[in-house]
Amino acid sequence: MLEIKNLHVAVEGKEILKGLSLSIAPGQVHAIMGPNGSGKSTLSYVLAGRAGYDVTEGSIIYNGEDLVALVPEERAAKGVFLAMQYPVEIPGVTTMTFLKTALNSQRRARGESDIDAVGVLKLVRAKAKTLNVSEEMLKRALNVGFSGGEKKRLEILQMAIFEPKLAILDETDSGLDIDALRLVAEGVNALRDPKRAMLVITHYQRLLDYIVPDRIHVLAGGRIVAEGGKELALELEAKGYEHIVGQAA
Amino acid sequence: MTLALNLDRKAQAAAVVHSHGVPHRRIEDWKYSDLKAVLGEQGLGAVMAEWLVGSLPSGVEMFDLSQPNPPAWVMGHIARPTQNVMRAASLALSAGGVAFRVPKGAAITAPLKLDFTGPGHVRGLLVLEEGASLTLVEGVGVTDFRNVGFEIVLGENARLEHVRVSPNAADAVLVEEVSLHIAAGGHYRGHFAGFGSKLARMELEIALEGEGAEAHLSGVSVLDGKRHSDVTTHVIHRVGNSQSTQLFKHVASGAARAVYQGKVTVAKGANGSDSSQTAKALLLGEGAEADLKPELEIFADDVKCAHGAAVGDLDAESLFYLRARGIPESQARGLLLQAFLEDAVAEIENIDQRELVRTELLSALKAIV
Repeated sequence: MLEIKNLHVAVEGKEILKGLSLSIAPGQVHAIMGPNGSGKSTLSYVLAGRAGYDVTEGSIIYNGEDLVALVPEERAAKGVFLAMQYPVEIPGVTTMTFLKTALNSQRRARGESDIDAVGVLKLVRAKAKTLNVSEEMLKRALNVGFSGGEKKRLEILQMAIFEPKLAILDETDSGLDIDALRLVAEGVNALRDPKRAMLVITHYQRLLDYIVPDRIHVLAGGRIVAEGGKELALELEAKGYEHIVGQAA
Repeated sequence: MTLALNLDRKAQAAAVVHSHGVPHRRIEDWKYSDLKAVLGEQGLGAVMAEWLVGSLPSGVEMFDLSQPNPPAWVMGHIARPTQNVMRAASLALSAGGVAFRVPKGAAITAPLKLDFTGPGHVRGLLVLEEGASLTLVEGVGVTDFRNVGFEIVLGENARLEHVRVSPNAADAVLVEEVSLHIAAGGHYRGHFAGFGSKLARMELEIALEGEGAEAHLSGVSVLDGKRHSDVTTHVIHRVGNSQSTQLFKHVASGAARAVYQGKVTVAKGANGSDSSQTAKALLLGEGAEADLKPELEIFADDVKCAHGAAVGDLDAESLFYLRARGIPESQARGLLLQAFLEDAVAEIENIDQRELVRTELLSALKAIV
């Protein structure tokens, strides 16, 4: 589903990713682990199409298509979803309005018909319940005054509503206590699907206790320096990044 | 009061106009709105502009100012002496206009809809007696040049909500001066939506004259092309424990220009006054300009005054967030602009008027994103 080859990405002229290669098949959950500054967030942003993240070399092929050529909204409509580390607060736009606008924008881009307000409300309510997202949260301005846990839950709720083919979770565990983490992880696990691929980006092994990946890649210095099964996370936790990164160098 | 006195005030006003002439950019108050330049040779003229009232809500009294023998409530309040040139011009250069009175204690639920139309000068007077309440919806007809001088008097505990929408009119020069006197416990809410003209200026001079008097002003403008929109306010806290708030939001694209000049004066002895002023502008495009000038003048103690102004562009992170969720760029920009204006729109208490303003903003935003 996703094929990244020799990816080089520069931000403001500074190279952050330096030849990253990665391939994920449908149904798989991969994890990217790495120390701070290794390029984890850069990878998530470049996949979602954020301006200012320039691909200088290499390629990202998504379902046979050059992802780099698409603007963010086109990627979203084609099923790419990034759960952000820091979801933005937008005063003046209610969460419900945002969800409805986004859902119908994606549908329209795919040539599907709009879902009316009542339909969207039903859909959102059904999914919100399991993620413990309250009616009251949906009425509030998007992410404004939400706690860290509420923001992350709303990200996962969006994932449940938009039903992406490729979901990238950028540090979804950051800022969460253990209960919130469990709730979010359960939400993510419920969305595991033979047709859906997930890329879980995290600094800590903790999240991977709950979302168990098929494969783990260790990112350091803009490259994948180690790969392995889920047991790699435990090794990292026990020995630290320096040990693995040092070995690779 | 006699007709002679009225003529005397008219002569005084004419003298003010004569000595000052047409305001231009070298006068501080008109720095960003060069009326003389846009009027050119035609000058102020001496034509009488018109007014139109759809249906007069029951309980509201009306008097046509071009008619003889005005009642006492008109003579008691109209044409207070002024050094404001344009307000003086509206008296000196025209004999027409309209006056309204809401008697003591009358709560009028239907809005009073008043349109000013046609070119020239015209006057308005609105008197709310003690405990009266009203919603005034002011319409602005498109014409070459019009100057409106409006006087509003709120008695003790009177309540007025005033909504004014100024249309997108590329060739019009539309100027209005509102002068407000608010007695103790009086409550004024003024909301001004503007879509810009060749020159559009709304000037408010508000005197809070009794304890507990309040004035809450808000405004939004969405400007494109070469439109200009100027809101100039002067709020004077004459006594203590009076309150004023101001919230103005502007969106300017193309080569448009948004102006906010707001002065708050807290007079000597007006202790415990509370005022806030916020003006923000988003500029879309290199040629757009915003001149935001909040100003404070304090002669009292123990006052709470806050003011701030900010000019910027749309937040890139918010824009990316919306686009990453599938919302196309232009729509995402529209949504963010709408969100930017929303708190100022939400200040409108009358639901119908609030929705009307929202709808007009939406269509104006669609045209510029």
